[in-house]
Amino acid sequence: MNPILVLGAGPAGLSAASELASLGAPTILVERESFLGGNPIRWHYSLLAPDLKPAEEVIGALVKKVQADARIERHLSTTLEKAEVGAKGYRVTLKTADTSEIRDVSAVVLATGFDHFDSRRKYEYGYGRFPDVIDFKEFELMLHENKVVRPSDGRVPQRIAWILCVGSRDVQVGNPWCCRLGCAVSIKQAVEVRQKHPEVDAYVYYMDIRTYGLWEDLYWKSMQEYGVKFIRGRIGAVTPAEGGGRLLATGEDTILSRPTEVPFDMIVLASGMEPSAGTKQVAALFGVPVGPEGFLTPQLTDLNPVDSGLPGLFLAGAATGPKAIPDAVTEGMGAALRAFQYARS
Amino acid sequence: MSIVANLPRRTLSLSEEEAARPVAMHLTGRQRLSSEERTLSEKIFEEFRSDPRHHEFVLGCLNCGECTTGCPAARFYDFSPREMLQIAANGDATTLWDAMQEKIWACCQCYTCNMRCRFGNDIAGIISVMRELSVYHGLEATRRTLAPFGRSLTLLMTVGTQVSSDMIQPDFFRDWGPFATGSDKVWQVGADVMRRAIPTDVLQTTRSAWEVSVQTSLELFRIYEETGVLDMLRGLDPDLTEMLVDIIEERREEFQEARERFADEIAGMKGPVATFQG
Amino acid sequence: MLTANEIRKVVAERTAHQRGTGKKVVDVREEMEHLEEKGEIIIHRIRAVNRPVELHTLFGWTKQIPTDRLWHHKSCGQCGNIPGYPSSLLWLMNETGRTYLNEPHQTSCTAWNYHGTATSNPVALAAVAARNFHRAYETDHFPLIHCGTSYGDYKEMRKLLVENATVRTKVRDVLRKMGRDLVIPEEIVHYSEWVHAMTPELVARQKLPLSGVIATVHEPCHYYKMVPEDAVYDEAVYSGQRPAVPSGILMALGATVADYSTWYDCCGFGFRHILSEREFSRSFANLRKIRPMIEEAHADVAITSDTGCVTTLDKSQWIGKTHGLEYMLPVLSDVQFAALALGAHPYKIAQVHWHSSSAERLMTKMGIDWQAAKAEFREYLKALQSGAQPELLHPAHGEIEKFFAINKGQVLPDEAVTPAAPTATSGAGPGGRS
Ligand code: SF4
Ligand code: SF4
Ligand code: SF4
Repeated sequence: MNPILVLGAGPAGLSAASELASLGAPTILVERESFLGGNPIRWHYSLLAPDLKPAEEVIGALVKKVQADARIERHLSTTLEKAEVGAKGYRVTLKTADTSEIRDVSAVVLATGFDHFDSRRKYEYGYGRFPDVIDFKEFELMLHENKVVRPSDGRVPQRIAWILCVGSRDVQVGNPWCCRLGCAVSIKQAVEVRQKHPEVDAYVYYMDIRTYGLWEDLYWKSMQEYGVKFIRGRIGAVTPAEGGGRLLATGEDTILSRPTEVPFDMIVLASGMEPSAGTKQVAALFGVPVGPEGFLTPQLTDLNPVDSGLPGLFLAGAATGPKAIPDAVTEGMGAALRAFQYARS
Repeated sequence: MSIVANLPRRTLSLSEEEAARPVAMHLTGRQRLSSEERTLSEKIFEEFRSDPRHHEFVLGCLNCGECTTGCPAARFYDFSPREMLQIAANGDATTLWDAMQEKIWACCQCYTCNMRCRFGNDIAGIISVMRELSVYHGLEATRRTLAPFGRSLTLLMTVGTQVSSDMIQPDFFRDWGPFATGSDKVWQVGADVMRRAIPTDVLQTTRSAWEVSVQTSLELFRIYEETGVLDMLRGLDPDLTEMLVDIIEERREEFQEARERFADEIAGMKGPVATFQG
Repeated sequence: MLTANEIRKVVAERTAHQRGTGKKVVDVREEMEHLEEKGEIIIHRIRAVNRPVELHTLFGWTKQIPTDRLWHHKSCGQCGNIPGYPSSLLWLMNETGRTYLNEPHQTSCTAWNYHGTATSNPVALAAVAARNFHRAYETDHFPLIHCGTSYGDYKEMRKLLVENATVRTKVRDVLRKMGRDLVIPEEIVHYSEWVHAMTPELVARQKLPLSGVIATVHEPCHYYKMVPEDAVYDEAVYSGQRPAVPSGILMALGATVADYSTWYDCCGFGFRHILSEREFSRSFANLRKIRPMIEEAHADVAITSDTGCVTTLDKSQWIGKTHGLEYMLPVLSDVQFAALALGAHPYKIAQVHWHSSSAERLMTKMGIDWQAAKAEFREYLKALQSGAQPELLHPAHGEIEKFFAINKGQVLPDEAVTPAAPTATSGAGPGGRS
């Protein structure tokens, strides 16, 4: 049996590769970055929602498993340059900075994931203009390093705002979908801050809180136990506050129907999820149908969310839409199984 | 779960529904309106909801409030584009009527809300639709609001420009400072000389923004007549409208005289100049 | 990394889908071609004689900007209050050898009135737009729109005329009654886009270095918030994240364009407000615009590219001193500023004396001997008062043009005097009159 190719080494790809290996299939794992682990490792996520376990612990376990498995051929800093339909499966060209290698593979799992929205495109929030307006992945790094300070002057912030749905649920930037995780991650961040620095004020500005299913517990606890404040309404303008140093967040409190203006030391944007550059590339290379949002579309979104409908091509993780890590891992397993069945048939 | 499911259910009978209605009317403040106002408000509501632009401009709303945050008018008036959109989408005849009294006039028509709206609504546009209806039906509040615009409406209707330099009078525009009129003590010459110092002849007038040929203004008036603008204005201010019609009649005569006077020059010319009769 | 233009192309596709039956972001220009094929409209095309330059718009689409043989669509407020605005533009055209018509046969777009008082309706607005479009077309000069609001309105009206058959029919009928027909220009072009397209030529003629000047830009709402897809963006200006005009020319001329937090706010004009609710206009202008420009950016001058914005930002400051807001930040249009940089007379051409917030300090910084220019202008006024003929940028119009929409005064050397009649002849289309 020709090996099975897994594209992308985030949670879904790692899960697929390790599952394939345990099924006894020769596996090639290709990752464009120089490390395994995908976005959680790339951006140094701190604790993961909802259980508040350190990201490195969770993803690290998966990474170790893959690293330890001799049946998995790992290609880091490698991209897919070409893909042709082969006799069975595909003939693909793998490319690094200075090499190019042609391989025949019997099936492919696309686990190419998502990119964070570039918040400069929502200029009202002043991201890229004010150093103290940061993206929530940058805040994850601060939490990870246990160094929550204002980028502008290194002081510990006294009051922090989280703005949800930045680059999500918004036709003005062409992203009408929900990122599914922005709420949970932001609330988790607020809780983490309040755990470590109880003196810091934490405000979350929201339209809807979507801590779906059992994650709702996190939302409740954030109020009951950690005193996180929730204001319904979006911030529409960030300007320097009078008196210097702080940022004035102006918005409408849409429950009280009145304007709100609060000075903050720091503003954190829950930037949305978009199909990654890799996802767009493989969609074009393999001709996988994409939805209007640009994510890959499974053949049957309900009964078989991991089949692309094209022979020998399977999908897993955030490449098909925003997804939490456990879901991505589950899909990795499912896609591995379907790919294995296909390769063996 | 099963307990709730097994509870007996009943639906309201028609008469019970009738009985409940005054309560609803009370809640929306409908009783405040006189019966004429109620009738008119329902008529306006009908027209509003059936305007094709309603369907096109009002798509839905997440109540995010970004429109209101970016709105310059919301900063200084009791006004909110989110509220306007809500009323347009889900309001009833009374809430629409209330909004059309004063609130719609707070809007600056800057389109910031439109550019912000994550749902893609045309809020500035739907406010304009409300305004048009309020003009068309000559609502009292609208007359009051537009009372200061007689002069600029006259200019607009007769020559098609809205302001002229002779409208910028120091006593009315005192807050604009001594330079606004361009002819203050600093220069010691009259407004007409200041205008003649503008290096293009079309702008040297003080009576409109620029010189407008008679044919051009008559063409414009024809557009107003044909597209219902004159009728709208009549609903708002019948006296002003009659005055405008008189002015235009004079200009039409003037145009006919010019046709005779310049008969040789325009003979053989093609296009509107040959066919337009005023 | 995708460039801003590439990102926007993706956004355009998605937005087009999302809005579905509501407001589709479609390229109306494609639709115009179909309508012309069916004989429903005439497209006023940009031709080689217009010496077009290609720029890019919000979604990365291309837009041809004609730079020559232009029909000046003046702005009603500009000419009443800020005459230096159109005169500077005409002067720049003379300097760069561009030909144009500046006629008395234009009406305003009437959108100030519509947005202020709503005593009009979209069909009337569309007919007014189309009437001016046709006049430009029959003179064979391409319309160049001076005003942000006219530009925004004409973009809306072009969309309306293309997308709505009922409005189209109605407007065509009205126009035919006056011997005109339904013409839609290939592009709706704002004068600041002309400036952007002309940047290399203007910079080549620059006389004064501007490196010491800090300028803040007020982006006119109606330039980019109405029909956003038609506004011009350029990778070289704010990495394509904000409109390229009027910032581009200021940067090219070497001024420091300083950022401030409320750049995207409105100026406070409000159409109705600037006349009858001036407390609002001036509060907004001073507190939300002028103050951040001064305090955050330390601006020497505020530059904008719309009539209403110049008026509001300029005229609102004088009264500010009653509230301790003594800013007096000069407010100029981009063309006035550029004309000064190219050596135009500050009073005779840029007409800065109409502005309430004095430009004198700025002019000193720019190295302009404004005292001498002022003295000269004073002499000129005296001469005019005693009956001297004014110096004009283009030939004056004749007596007959007070009455008829024809052009005698400004005819270019080798041009015909009579307007060209529309050329096509199919059934519903041009030529046939009902
Ligand atoms: S998950 Fe929350 S933050 Fe993300 S788009 Fe949905 S509602 Fe907004
Ligand atoms: S258009 Fe009107 S409602 Fe919308 S932001 Fe501007 S002032 Fe507010
Ligand atoms: S911006 Fe749009 S979605 Fe948000 S509150 Fe206003 S109308 Fe609703």
